[in-house]
Amino acid sequence: MTVDQASSPAVGRPRPTAKTGRTRSTARTGPSMTTRKHRAFYMFASPWIIGFSLLTIAPMAYALWLSFTTYDGISPHWHYVGLGNYRELMGDSVTWDALGRAGLFALTSVPLSIIAGLALAVLVNRPLKARGLFRTLLYLPAVVPPVGAGIAFKNLFDQNSGAANGALTFFGFDAIGWLADPYARYVLVMTVLWAAGNIMIISLAGLQDVPRELHEAARIDGASAWRTFRSITVPLLSPVLLFQTVTGVIASVQTIMPMLLAPTAGTGGLTSIPQSNYTYMIHVFAEYFALGRYGYASALLWVLFLLILIATGLIFKFTSGVVFYNVDPEAQK
Amino acid sequence: MHPRAGAPLSRRRFLALSATGAGVGAAALNGCALQVSTGVSGAGETITVMAKADDLGPDLVKQAKKDTGISIKRVDYDITKLIAMLTSGSPPDLVRGVGAVDATFYAARDVMQELDSYFATSSVLRPDDLDPVNDLWRYDGKVQGKGPRYGLAKDFSQDSMYWYNTAAFDKKHVAYPSETEPITFEEWLDHAQHLVQRSKGQTTVFGGSYNGLVKLTLMATMTASAGGSLFADDFTRVDFTTPEARKVLAWYLDYCRLKVGPSPVLPDPNGWDGPTYQAGRMAMSNNGYWMGGMIGADKKLAEVSRLAPAPVFAGGPRISACQGGTGMWMPRKARNKDAAWRVFEWFFGEAPAKARASSGWGIPSLKSLRSLMPHQEDFQKRTLSAQRNELKHFSVVAVSPYISGDGFESLFNQAATPAMHGEMSVDRLAGRLNSVINQQIKRGKEQVG
Repeated sequence: MTVDQASSPAVGRPRPTAKTGRTRSTARTGPSMTTRKHRAFYMFASPWIIGFSLLTIAPMAYALWLSFTTYDGISPHWHYVGLGNYRELMGDSVTWDALGRAGLFALTSVPLSIIAGLALAVLVNRPLKARGLFRTLLYLPAVVPPVGAGIAFKNLFDQNSGAANGALTFFGFDAIGWLADPYARYVLVMTVLWAAGNIMIISLAGLQDVPRELHEAARIDGASAWRTFRSITVPLLSPVLLFQTVTGVIASVQTIMPMLLAPTAGTGGLTSIPQSNYTYMIHVFAEYFALGRYGYASALLWVLFLLILIATGLIFKFTSGVVFYNVDPEAQK
Repeated sequence: MHPRAGAPLSRRRFLALSATGAGVGAAALNGCALQVSTGVSGAGETITVMAKADDLGPDLVKQAKKDTGISIKRVDYDITKLIAMLTSGSPPDLVRGVGAVDATFYAARDVMQELDSYFATSSVLRPDDLDPVNDLWRYDGKVQGKGPRYGLAKDFSQDSMYWYNTAAFDKKHVAYPSETEPITFEEWLDHAQHLVQRSKGQTTVFGGSYNGLVKLTLMATMTASAGGSLFADDFTRVDFTTPEARKVLAWYLDYCRLKVGPSPVLPDPNGWDGPTYQAGRMAMSNNGYWMGGMIGADKKLAEVSRLAPAPVFAGGPRISACQGGTGMWMPRKARNKDAAWRVFEWFFGEAPAKARASSGWGIPSLKSLRSLMPHQEDFQKRTLSAQRNELKHFSVVAVSPYISGDGFESLFNQAATPAMHGEMSVDRLAGRLNSVINQQIKRGKEQVG
């Protein structure tokens, strides 16, 4: 803009509109309410959208691209293999064995931890003395970092100096090689059960949401405690249990706890993981960082992602008839 | 557990102590008129070094600033982080590495800086002063041990040697192995079977450990000791079915099946032999001279500890290789190469190197520093004598550049674990190992081009 233009009286002055002869500034004072609502929505949602795009969508897209290559992270001589990694995966017995172990771990650890968490929640929902203290103590293991938990369990279950075998030998039994095959899988499940406090807290919140009058009505009708629990508490808790099942399955197939139970840490630790704990994510980690197969490992991750989506869909499908959502019909109108 | 020689020292703690010792030693030795580089300086710059805290503690970082004027930003060694930094084009200026397995792997992938031109102008790191172990850091594009230098070992050991505890031998009335003449692997395993102590399913004293540093160098070195070669001449294949490699595989499976020492089927939660040996719970420990640093710090343990030559296979050659040669290398895309070289010189040839040499934590990688190896006390004299004798049998056993140490280890343990449990024969395992490892080598060859 030149000085002449800038000093011209016409510049910057609102022009009359053709139809009304009024200036625009007087015709529209700002964006409409709808626009402002949209703008506010995107402003509030943008941190999440940006984070999700940069930290989830972009890495997933990058991993998808990698899955079509032979990239190893360092070498310049990689090439596209199309669906080659996915085809290899289909015939890779190590991959399917690892997936089977992960599935078995999920099938074992998820129901057990939900039952344990729910039992603890029922226990600390009762009017006990020092109830707050019990709740804190039972929740405490859930806040221990997994690395710390791994070290604690390694020492606890060490064959030669661990407390678990100390107890066994005290009672005249022979010591067990807990951290080697075939027992290592049981220790892995125990680490999950040990941290059932997370599930307890969520179940406890669900239990406190169950209307007391329903329990009182059942008691008046002569229902036993077990019948009340089975017919009132469990149905009302079913959305919570469904949530725990879905998140539990997702977390359990992605667990890296076997690595933390290995005698040596880091990439080297991979190599000392017993076969029974060589689960899918351990296989993925080995393919990425021990073997440098970024393309193949990315294909493994994408397949896992799709399997989790399918598993979640199936869980929703098969539980749709048994999950009770206590929703106010008026609020849905 | 009956600690024989005081409370066990954790690996982290004693390595931290050694790093501190090295730092203090570096400070003390700084007063001595050291050779200093006459070449590049880089003073005032800041370099990034990817290393473990045990390699380069805060005291050494401060000392580096004082001695060279260069600031060091240390980032923890982590292979995933290293690859990310290399890929993004902002690598560290110096990186920790294990010469025996990392040198060829990274050099073949063209991410390492050749250092010959720096060595040619350095007055600190003169090629004629470099111990042969540093040849582990050379690679000519085909063979390890020849061609340009890509890094240097900070110190080394002959990692097929082993320490033994005379008290454990006395208790079981087993004759001590010679400190100058090697026993055979079969005799070693026989000793281990006699020395192991068990009670109610628990191993109270391991007869011996024999796992090497990493399986790749362990298998390659032992096969060489059996008179063969694990790799084909062009390093594009392994063959576990040759009589020599099969013999090694059978021996190692026997070691695992007999459960005389730590293995994937009998893990030691300590993760390494040090604390177990120190607690008197291990009669023989496959570690080289470097573990003398820990043993020497414990007078009671030193009294009963002996360093023995690397075992041999009957009729095979006497080979005592270094399976590690841990040191540092410079990425080709490092941004502060001159300053990094100055720190490299300082770390490998000046105060820190002298402090390490006199600490007993390894054989110095410069010949001129050998005289600093501890030799005042009886234990030190005895150990040094055994070590000097063993050095006559040092050789470099080359490994394939097409597979990483971690990759080999991962595939080996995965395939071998059923055999360690006795669920697979040696021959079947040899075939399985050939299949999975050669497949990985083939992929690596394609990547290298």
